[in-house]
Amino acid sequence: MSNTIFGNVFGKYFKLMALFASASISAQLEYRFNFVVNTIGSILLAVTTFFGLGVLYGNGKPLGGWSFTEASVVVGLFLLVEGFMGAFLAPNLNKIGEGVRTGSLDFILLKPLDAQFLVSSRNINIFRLPDSLVGIGVVIWALVQLPDITLGGVLLGVALMVCGLVIVYGLWLMLATTAFWFVRVENMTELVWSLFRAGQFPVTVLPPVVRLFLTFVVPVAFISTVPAEAMIGRIEPINVVLAVVVALVVTLVSRWFWRFALRSYTSASS
Amino acid sequence: MNLAANWHKFKTLYSVWLSHMLIYRAELVVWMLSGTVPWLMMVVWIGKAQTEGGSVAGFSAADFGAYFMAVWLTNQAVVAWVAWELDFQIRQGELSPKLLRPLDPVWEYWFRHLTEKSVRIPMAIPLAVAGLALVPGALAAFTPNLGAFLLFLLSLVLAANMRFFAAYCIGILCFWTDQATAIDDFWFFLAVFAGGIFAPLTLYPQWAQDMLQWTPWPYITYYPVQILNGALTGPAVLRVLLIEAAWLLFFWLLSRVAWHSGLRRYGAVGA
Repeated sequence: MSNTIFGNVFGKYFKLMALFASASISAQLEYRFNFVVNTIGSILLAVTTFFGLGVLYGNGKPLGGWSFTEASVVVGLFLLVEGFMGAFLAPNLNKIGEGVRTGSLDFILLKPLDAQFLVSSRNINIFRLPDSLVGIGVVIWALVQLPDITLGGVLLGVALMVCGLVIVYGLWLMLATTAFWFVRVENMTELVWSLFRAGQFPVTVLPPVVRLFLTFVVPVAFISTVPAEAMIGRIEPINVVLAVVVALVVTLVSRWFWRFALRSYTSASS
Repeated sequence: MNLAANWHKFKTLYSVWLSHMLIYRAELVVWMLSGTVPWLMMVVWIGKAQTEGGSVAGFSAADFGAYFMAVWLTNQAVVAWVAWELDFQIRQGELSPKLLRPLDPVWEYWFRHLTEKSVRIPMAIPLAVAGLALVPGALAAFTPNLGAFLLFLLSLVLAANMRFFAAYCIGILCFWTDQATAIDDFWFFLAVFAGGIFAPLTLYPQWAQDMLQWTPWPYITYYPVQILNGALTGPAVLRVLLIEAAWLLFFWLLSRVAWHSGLRRYGAVGA
């Protein structure tokens, strides 16, 4: 019995997600030129990032224990996460502030569905997906060149990548949720994400103080460095545990914070 | 229109936009901090220098600190949002009332650019000094003499205008496409690498250094920084200033031509 209820609820949410996705995509397919421009942008970003990595390795010495090809895995994963954030998170979570400001959040709260699900899944920006595709391409290109790559390691890396995406989502949801009190939070979000740019390099490249900050304060390490370590088969078991624990904690805390914020929501007009 | 009448308009534009920008000073600090690429690269290069016995290609940690803080400061002085402003206003039809005024709209955008800098730069200097103080020896490595500083200011004025008119050209593209802001992002990606924001250009491969001489980006950040740090003197400085002036003239002429052909396509939204 409980099994069918569970199945029905999840089936409903999956169906809704598919509906939202197809509505977003068909609206955006009107603008093919945008797709061309954004794809050029993705390629330009990847090429300039790579050129930069080449300069950093200009004297042929490994950086923080990472060779050029190994660091390329980190770059590819970072591009993938950036594309994910731009395609799935930004078009939804950036609108929470607006919903609070204008009161349009009321319409979401009135629907017989989980409000967190609704504010997180309504829109997809397909123009940012090329970033992710370029990222995946870079990861594959780097992995086939490296020796000793195992299927198990790659799968573990993919699983840790999912943990990284969960962490990014939870953190962003918490930041966006502060809009219930501070109304204008877009600039703060911008500032925090600019710190995430550090994820394009293996964290071991950075001086120890900065490394600690980017592991425990703003957990950038878990979105690109840790999954890359798993893929190239040199991960410390403790990092696997840490990644899972951080993902769980961030998910629970962000869920709790969202509900706490909803309780203090009084709408714009009343 | 005589000069006195225009001078009065310019003074008014300056004071109006200055009070506008002062309202947004808190946002400006956040935007300044969001331009983290030079800070990140400073940390990465210092990390590399530390693991490789103190220096990379002749740059010590202190040199990297001085270089990247000068880059960051220069970036703060040249950053331009006019492509985004034009894009928004052309699409919303807000350009229409501006066209009715007896003054070319470019002046309003230009004063917006200037007043934004007047508020931004005084706030950026203490942050750059703090950055320099964090890196041991960087403050000592960052000691421009008065002559170099004045030449730097001159090159910075030219660079800020280069960037402004280039961004103005990109913004004008939205008379034809709604992707002008995406194209302005291309400029940003290219500027990070071609302008030396990623690393001092001397660390780039020779072919890249040769090629970049023919692009505008090094003249917007890298060369002003080199003048400030005293790496360029005499005829080399003059050469940079002349090339900057030539690029500025090019972007200005291009913006005039593009503006007039764009206006012919402008069907005011909501009119």
